[in-house]
Amino acid sequence: MSLSTDLLWEVTRNNSAFLVNRRTGGGARFSRDPLNLTNVYSRKYEGSINEKAFGVQPAAEGGVEVSVKKAGKANKPASALQTSTIGKGKSTRKTYQSIVNSTTKRHYRPDLRAEAVARASAIRQSQRPKKATPERKLRGRKAEKAAEVEA
Amino acid sequence: MCRSGRMFAPTKVWRKWHQKINLGQKRFATASALAASSNAALLMARGHRVSTVAEVPLVVASSAFEGAAITKTQAAISFLKAVGAGQELEKVKASKKLRAGKGKLRGRRYRQRRGPLVVYSPETDGKELIKAFRNIPGVETSSVYDLNLLQLAPGGHLGRFIIWTSSAFAALDQIYGSTTEASALKKDFLLPSALVAQPDIGKIINSSEIQAVLRPVKGGAITKRTQVQKKNPLRNRQVLLRLNPYAAQYSKDKVGQQKVTGEKAPKTSELFLDVINEP
Repeated sequence: MSLSTDLLWEVTRNNSAFLVNRRTGGGARFSRDPLNLTNVYSRKYEGSINEKAFGVQPAAEGGVEVSVKKAGKANKPASALQTSTIGKGKSTRKTYQSIVNSTTKRHYRPDLRAEAVARASAIRQSQRPKKATPERKLRGRKAEKAAEVEA
Repeated sequence: MCRSGRMFAPTKVWRKWHQKINLGQKRFATASALAASSNAALLMARGHRVSTVAEVPLVVASSAFEGAAITKTQAAISFLKAVGAGQELEKVKASKKLRAGKGKLRGRRYRQRRGPLVVYSPETDGKELIKAFRNIPGVETSSVYDLNLLQLAPGGHLGRFIIWTSSAFAALDQIYGSTTEASALKKDFLLPSALVAQPDIGKIINSSEIQAVLRPVKGGAITKRTQVQKKNPLRNRQVLLRLNPYAAQYSKDKVGQQKVTGEKAPKTSELFLDVINEP
């Protein structure tokens, strides 16, 4: 028997292992739930208590990993998620399209479309190689000295 | 004398140490905690690592414990790993920290997370498993006949990860009865029945009973906006089309670009002009 998600939310609303209370930002409430697309602790975004939910996480070897909750597997944790990886070789636009086509386009949580794309975008952005900072130019006396040495 | 107090007001050892809770309330709490332990979402919300567990509630055949099969800690650990509790053991192991404050000096030196609770039935599963499990960090064992609320919902938080033996799970029916059948072992106890038949708010709102008495949506699917910016139909084509549906055909046929064909209109006769201009 599965419990009502409204009941689950009332139980976990103020206390959960996923909940992160922050003093900054007016007491912001964040979530560590991997099925939460915005990391905001709310009824809509908290994936573990919603019947339908999907998460976007960075994959181990670049790219993103999309995990979707299967229907009727709420109490079978080992087989509850359908995960698929969209590799780093795929362009970002194709990545978003792939996520949207497999979820919101099929009427699976259509309310989370923008959030899913934004999260995938942020993940891909974070995986870009970092540019080395250019060497600092010498100014003033130091520059004059360096020029003298070179001359 | 016990702690605190002063010379002329010493605290007494016959202080009231315990809080009496009504038996019915205690039973209600235990039943609630057991119900919560059968929901994976609540287990995860308590912090248990159950993503590798096949099913919640996790029931293991009592044959795994038959004839004192699990008497050694090594066997117990491999048993826990086999049922998918390996991650949970790792979590507990990594969580052991020195306690902050004076509690360190008072026999509560370390803090650590709670792991799975193994519930067995002593008649069929034997009691050897207690010794096998007792040295694994975080793992606790309990007989199904004396479940402890402090173990079922530690810290008042519902959803302990419980590993049941099949005989212990079967014994629950006898111990707690059902909502209609009285418990065999507890006097005057029926399982608490649900106060609401439908706890899903979405389903209630969308039910035909509620929808039937709601007033219809104002305006329907398309509502007219009250204040809109005026658009110039000569510049904004969509507004032009709304005002003049012919405009589409007009531009499609390129009427505006067509040369005038046919003969010119005949000149107005002199006589007509004279008549009309007569002073």
